[in-house]
Amino acid sequence: MSRKKPGEFQVVNHSVAREDGVAKVTGRAVYASDIRLEGMAYAKLLRSPFAHARILSIDASEALRQPGVIAVLHGNNLQGIDPYYGHAVKDHPLLAIGKVRFLGEPVAAVVAEDERSAYEALESVRVEYEELPGVLEVDAALADGAPLVHETSYAGGSFRGFDDPGSMKASNICQEVHLEWGDVAAAFAQAAQVVEGVYYFPMAYAYAMEAYVSIADYNDSGLTVYSSAQHPFIVRHDLAGVFGLFLNRVRVVVPFVGGGYGSKSYTKIEPLTAACSWKAKRPVKLQLSVAEAMLTTRNDDARVRIRTAVDREGRLVAREATIHLNTGAYAENSPLVARKAANRIVGPYRIPNVKVDCCAIYTNTVPASSFRGFGATQVTFPGESQMDELAEKLSCHPVEFRRKNLAARGESIHPGLRPLDADLAGDIAMVVQALETDKPLSKGHGRAVACSASDAGSDPVTSTIVHVYADGSVSVMTGSTELGQGSHTVLRQIAAEEMGVELQKVRVIGPDTAVTPFERSTGASRTTTLMGRAVLEACQEAIVQLRDMAAEILKTAPENLILERSGVAFQDRRLSWQDVLRTFFGLSDCSIIGRAYLRKVGDLALLPVFWEIGCTGVEIAVDAETGRICLERLVTVGDVGLAIHPAMVEGQDLGAATMGLGIGLYEELLYEGQQLLNGNLLDYRVPRFSDLAPKIDLLLVQNQDGRGPYGAKGGGEGSLNPIPACLANALYQATGVRLRRLPLTPERVWRALREQRNKGDNVGH
Amino acid sequence: MMLLRRFEIHQPTSVAEAVQMLAHFGEDASFYAGGTELLLAMKHDVLRYKHLIDVKVVSGLDSIELRDGILRIGATATHRSVERSPLIRSHLPVFVDMEQRVANVRVRNTGTLGGNLCFADPHSDPATLLLALGASVVAEGPRGRREIPMEDFITDAYETSLGTDEVLTGIQVPAATPQQRAAYVKFQVHERPMLGLALVLETSDNGESFRDARVAVGCVSPRALRSAEAESLLTGSRSAVEGNLLRAADALADSAELMDDPEGSAEYKRNLIQTFLRRAFQKAVGQP
Repeated sequence: MSRKKPGEFQVVNHSVAREDGVAKVTGRAVYASDIRLEGMAYAKLLRSPFAHARILSIDASEALRQPGVIAVLHGNNLQGIDPYYGHAVKDHPLLAIGKVRFLGEPVAAVVAEDERSAYEALESVRVEYEELPGVLEVDAALADGAPLVHETSYAGGSFRGFDDPGSMKASNICQEVHLEWGDVAAAFAQAAQVVEGVYYFPMAYAYAMEAYVSIADYNDSGLTVYSSAQHPFIVRHDLAGVFGLFLNRVRVVVPFVGGGYGSKSYTKIEPLTAACSWKAKRPVKLQLSVAEAMLTTRNDDARVRIRTAVDREGRLVAREATIHLNTGAYAENSPLVARKAANRIVGPYRIPNVKVDCCAIYTNTVPASSFRGFGATQVTFPGESQMDELAEKLSCHPVEFRRKNLAARGESIHPGLRPLDADLAGDIAMVVQALETDKPLSKGHGRAVACSASDAGSDPVTSTIVHVYADGSVSVMTGSTELGQGSHTVLRQIAAEEMGVELQKVRVIGPDTAVTPFERSTGASRTTTLMGRAVLEACQEAIVQLRDMAAEILKTAPENLILERSGVAFQDRRLSWQDVLRTFFGLSDCSIIGRAYLRKVGDLALLPVFWEIGCTGVEIAVDAETGRICLERLVTVGDVGLAIHPAMVEGQDLGAATMGLGIGLYEELLYEGQQLLNGNLLDYRVPRFSDLAPKIDLLLVQNQDGRGPYGAKGGGEGSLNPIPACLANALYQATGVRLRRLPLTPERVWRALREQRNKGDNVGH
Repeated sequence: MMLLRRFEIHQPTSVAEAVQMLAHFGEDASFYAGGTELLLAMKHDVLRYKHLIDVKVVSGLDSIELRDGILRIGATATHRSVERSPLIRSHLPVFVDMEQRVANVRVRNTGTLGGNLCFADPHSDPATLLLALGASVVAEGPRGRREIPMEDFITDAYETSLGTDEVLTGIQVPAATPQQRAAYVKFQVHERPMLGLALVLETSDNGESFRDARVAVGCVSPRALRSAEAESLLTGSRSAVEGNLLRAADALADSAELMDDPEGSAEYKRNLIQTFLRRAFQKAVGQP
């Protein structure tokens, strides 16, 4: 079948109105926190005041006497359930058991008739602690004789392929990943130029407007949970494990989610909320504040020691890196972050000799997990910084140097993984043109271009059902979560395109694990590619059924029918799908279902599903007196194969780049001793509209080279990854100062400039 | 969701009643106006009060008047109403320029000038500028009414010299004269500014020389403060003042007893004072 090209689509490839737009701007959209169940009680959490302490005793008797209090849960009264969860390593108790491992860890949950009563009763829970020496940083955690965050081994979670947790050594190492090809030692020995450095990527919080919220109802028929979760099916798996229930007895419903950015990936507060309902025998709601969300998850901050070598012709010959991730108190998704960091440090380049050692390390800090672009963010900063550093050593323009080393489409950058499915040389040329790099720079200004390639899409297991109704309407049943990224709109467009109906006739039913078919997750930029393709295939499967029905009605063979936009033609007759269903069943309100499932076979056998490209350019202005950096221009490229909804791809790129700007310039969770200093939005600085560049170009590349519908592939994370390196490289261009630690705060920049001046003075004398 | 503990709200109809209520509830009570700082602190459980006395319902406390060359701003006038007041715009434009940049428009719409001063956050923009403008505040209590110069009003971080039985009713600021050259500048990365700096100069010869100078710095010490040494260095011929800017900034920085903290190191704050005193001077005298 020949594939439609841009310009030939009816619905797809157009920036149609958002499926959820009116509901959201009128305040009618339902989020988890809007749901009220009959008899619903409320939980509030008592959190640990210590980073590492033994729990000597918990006395909840006074709290239970407070007005309105129904139940108090703590580590000593969870008998009857398996209180540990974790998809990679089952190391995470839903409330601290025996000891606390970070300041802010939930120690007790008070369930009461109303939220305020629960909150006020927290003070009445008496907990005795014996403080233990803790490990707050990676070096302390790796030191000989370091206190252990976890003394015991744990069972593996639902994910396969991580180190057998049972073999865990008596150390704070959570996961190790080693990657090697070629002969690195020989390549460095023969290299013409080598750059080497240590780079630090900060601890950051993926701020979403909606903090975590869950409502759980545990009763005789099983467990129902409404939650702000990105991955409802993985939450279901973990809940089934905690309560010993069959999968069909756990129902996870996810209404609209107010932003995730990775922070809502995997299981968070759902097991605890469900345990509250189990204990209180009432539906229970648990809603966290932003400050509490900041004590729930964060990214893995990273220290990357890296060296890169080139030959005389300016070709990359080797890269060697040691990555230390500060994983915090529990594994969460850090084992996968470690694997991705190792994979993604290669970038989109052909490097014949590579050696990477990556280690995720437990510390007594907030557990780290997914964060938009994870793995890639931490390593693209050092990798792309070194590309500029090498270019300078070679007296080569940084863009030229990249061009020389970029892998071409179809070229393998990673043995065993899918060859590159993008035209990065073309992408970079677009950025260069939009950024007008040929124009002279004003004083104190700098420009930079950087890129990245991430193995994206995760495990391609996805399924969907499409209902086609006799009145011409269509429903898509999807387990993909609408996080604000617009997936409901995209899926609706694809169904409308395939079934030949108006957009308004397509309804998207969002995740409800009792109703919608299995979808592994909503992450790794996969939804358009995988769920979009499943919807397309389910529509096509429905069309095959409809064609066979039409053939029966028309008393001919199916292959004699000509498929049209929303029906079939045979000789001088034309039957719409509506006509077919009404005639075939003899009813006007019946429907059929089209199904599709994807798995790791055929063109999806080779991972990744696609390479997600980041390719961005910036121009900055540096105020040398204060050290403040202002973004003057931003260019992003959405190399997405086909933009199902161009405006939303642009929006995703701007959003991702803006998160990159936040980490690049401002965002960092700061610890003083065991205390998180800026765990609230007053002190933790997220980007504002006023930080956006005055001139922004959001470019799209539509080469239809993905494995998604119509050649689409994912976006939404890529434009974050190169931004911090762009900022650091542009700072170097503007001032000659090279910073290897993010964020590039005004004081850091000012200090570096002063140091540079002092050095200059010394040389002068 | 960030929760407030239970409290009762009381709505007095007069200043006298407000003061009586405070005397009655004592330590368990606080005056409450816009609540943009108080309620936030209560939500973070940093402050706990069982009773809040809502002074913004007392009529007449939000008026803005000019009398005898003095702008008289009621304590419950919001930042937004000050920012948009034609009277203040024409008689003290530097104050409007400062108010326009306080926090964000939602805070300005709700937060009051009096509340801001009584909360005495070291990052207060108005407190720094009012100090340099020679303003005073009016307090009323059982012993009557008294005026307190800004110098004596804020005594420490989050501390004022208001009696436990007094309420702030107004702010008095001398209107600008044609001889005044004033500017308020600030450096802000986070939600609160890292530095606020106010400079008020008096010139009789259209900026050729300055016969008087008042300079105040905020955010970098427990309360906004002035430096007599700096002010003396900022007095004299324009070229002399320009030559003294760095020394004046150092004098200000010295008097602030700068400290390293999460907002920045002492030496960086000194650099900011140097940079922004120069920028304030340029802004005050109308240089680009």
